[in-house]
Amino acid sequence: MSKEWKERLHTYLPIVFLIVLVLLVGTYDPSFFSVGNFLTVTADTMTLFLMASGVTLVIMIGGIDLSIQAVASMASCILAAYLGRFGMWTIPLAVLGGAVAGLAGSLVSTRLRIPSFIATLAVSGVVLSAGYWFSDTRSINIPPDLSASYLSWAVGDTLGIPNEIWVGVVAMVVLSVLLQLTPFGRLIRGIGAQEQAVIASGINVDRIKIAAYVLSGTMAALAGVVMAARLGSGSPTLANEFLLPAIAAIIVGGTAITGGVGSVWRTFVGALIVQVVRIGMTFMGVSVFAQQIVFGVILVAAVAITLDRSKLLVVK
Amino acid sequence: MNAPSSIPALEVRGVSKSFPGVKALDNVSFTIKRNEVVGLIGENGAGKTSLLKVLNGIYQPDEGELLVDGRPVKLASPRQAFDTGIAMVFQEQTILPSLTVAQNIFLGREEEFLRFGLVSKARMNEAAAVELKKVHLDIHPGTACVKLSFADRQMVEIAKALSLDSRITGNITILLDEPTSVLERKEVELLFAIIADLKKRASIAFISHRLDEVLAVSDRVYVMRDGKVVKEFDGKDVTEKDMHQHMVGRQLHTEYYREARQTACSDKVLIEARNLSKAGAFRNVSFALRAGEVLGIAGVIGSGREDLARCLAGHTKSDTGTLEVNGQRARFASVPQATAQGVGLVPAERKVEGLVAQFSVAENMTLAALPKFVAKGLLNFGAETAQAKSWIDRLKIKTPSPHAMTGGLSGGNQQKVVLAKWRIAGVKVLILDHPTRGIDVGAKEDVYELVRDMTSEGLAVILLGDTLEEVIGLSSRILVMRDGEVTASFEAPPGGKPTQIDLVQHMV
Repeated sequence: MSKEWKERLHTYLPIVFLIVLVLLVGTYDPSFFSVGNFLTVTADTMTLFLMASGVTLVIMIGGIDLSIQAVASMASCILAAYLGRFGMWTIPLAVLGGAVAGLAGSLVSTRLRIPSFIATLAVSGVVLSAGYWFSDTRSINIPPDLSASYLSWAVGDTLGIPNEIWVGVVAMVVLSVLLQLTPFGRLIRGIGAQEQAVIASGINVDRIKIAAYVLSGTMAALAGVVMAARLGSGSPTLANEFLLPAIAAIIVGGTAITGGVGSVWRTFVGALIVQVVRIGMTFMGVSVFAQQIVFGVILVAAVAITLDRSKLLVVK
Repeated sequence: MNAPSSIPALEVRGVSKSFPGVKALDNVSFTIKRNEVVGLIGENGAGKTSLLKVLNGIYQPDEGELLVDGRPVKLASPRQAFDTGIAMVFQEQTILPSLTVAQNIFLGREEEFLRFGLVSKARMNEAAAVELKKVHLDIHPGTACVKLSFADRQMVEIAKALSLDSRITGNITILLDEPTSVLERKEVELLFAIIADLKKRASIAFISHRLDEVLAVSDRVYVMRDGKVVKEFDGKDVTEKDMHQHMVGRQLHTEYYREARQTACSDKVLIEARNLSKAGAFRNVSFALRAGEVLGIAGVIGSGREDLARCLAGHTKSDTGTLEVNGQRARFASVPQATAQGVGLVPAERKVEGLVAQFSVAENMTLAALPKFVAKGLLNFGAETAQAKSWIDRLKIKTPSPHAMTGGLSGGNQQKVVLAKWRIAGVKVLILDHPTRGIDVGAKEDVYELVRDMTSEGLAVILLGDTLEEVIGLSSRILVMRDGEVTASFEAPPGGKPTQIDLVQHMV
């Protein structure tokens, strides 16, 4: 197989895989094929996509952000706890919390030169505790009237399409422009592919890295806000069990775990794949508790397929 | 001494090996007879190390065959070569510092020392002691290698190769790739004594840059140039001068290095260094670099010239001393600071620091000057492509398009992309660290042409040449460094260049 073909396959395989999955689930349950159902499935996928979208940039620079599920939970707590007091301002406040968490992880990683794996794991612990502190260790309900006045942008319908989808699409477009059309995106790719060459070209690599982690925290917090809006409550464990599917969505979409190659639309496709697999499993009666096993298997399989492991000299 | 037997211990027939853009070995034939020491000489990049790597099973040849004791063999790995009776001592050391001497000597062969399924340290140390005695190294086999000096590590490396002797009953061949470069005089003499002793039992191939050493130990000498064997000498009737002439193969250097285009440097000082020092690297280095000048820095490995170059480009900080750029005090604590002042470095490790292989040619070219290609926060792809195209034409870069992946180009074309990157960034001072390493002759001449272009446009170049010849040919002034200090300075106008001998006596 020629190199060009391999690359094309690498690009389109996730889309083909998604279509096959949809057809499979559809043959199992024909009611799956309806515009309404497709919209529901897509809307249900958006929180996962939002969580994974920012980490995509971090993975592209060759790092990882393990704090996203704790960040999303904390954001939901901030939203639910303070919505009554601060109103609309609670939303940027909650998102800012995520940005600060991303900033903390990236500063630890770049200034102290600690691998992002450890830095973000440590931040994850701090953020988890912060979530408990904001929520007083309880799940907090968001009164319907507050939700109606401040969160309808996330849960209602506009032009017949659920607002979650609008939020997701806007996020995808903004991040894609950032990644494909700006110097920032160019340098994200460069750092992932060959960081030393980018450093040697006189670029302040740390600044780019910090920005990537801040974006990752921001998007995770936004995901937490949307999640809380949909569920009508915030909780310090709201986004538990989201880390594995989020990383799986990124990798299944075709972003290379080794960095340098990837895009946000791939993560969009990957998130849909994860969601359709989840629905398929529910149809087939696979227990919710067993579903994480399947995500684990998918993650390993996706890395095994997409990564040219013969080029890796050592695996650590 | 035994008479060399008629069947060669090792024979190479018509071997060729190509890497993207470079033909490292071109139809090479080479034999080592039994109980013979064969010298192998040539300039950097002539193919000596590649040849030894083929003999040691690290590289698989594209064409040609290998014969051991007259039988054709295929060597898929160094381990297989070892089992066939071929061991190699590498130019870059392969000793693992965290392991003990004994563990290093028997790395990969621990099963010889198994006792109840576990490696017996006592047995391994005992066996290692025997090997160490052969190289007269008086250290305990249980010592961690990190505690050893470089010279001692080199001797351990040699002991590792010699351990073949007690394990293989057939003929053995030892390949020595510049084993003396880190050794002191006394140790070199010891090594020669070992080689003379070993000759009774083994065949030896010996690479060294020091031609006198090659003359001293070799029965026969092969000269390589540009991947080919160009000359075979009988060791008895050859002089250093003969060897040198064939290594270089060109009598007329003037045209090759474009000396006619060497510019007289102006009075405008671009960079002035005063008493720059960095602990463990260099001391009290002072010089003034003028516009239009090529300042060559000559020195062996460990002379501190690489450290100095990296320091001038902001990769590392100096401890003391001052630097002035255009008459203003400057301090380069990071690469961005150096590039902002118009200083760029073309690194020796092209694929690590020079460029992003996954990037397109255009993307690499604009990497150091991205803000110039931004309009309203977005990249201006049209301007970028146009700029890339003009440099592709100007530097005669062979690429299918500005959007082709840089990793797919030949070494010479990749190097031109790196040079274009700094030209687009608008640097005033370009530091070239081994700019022609691993690129073919034609591309080298293009690089030389480019250096002349830069100086005639008023830029200044600091050159750490790949060969002395290159430093002399290109430079208008030459600093010689030894052990971190500048030991001599030569003016090098066209027609009045110092000779290699002039430089070498200040280098070592």
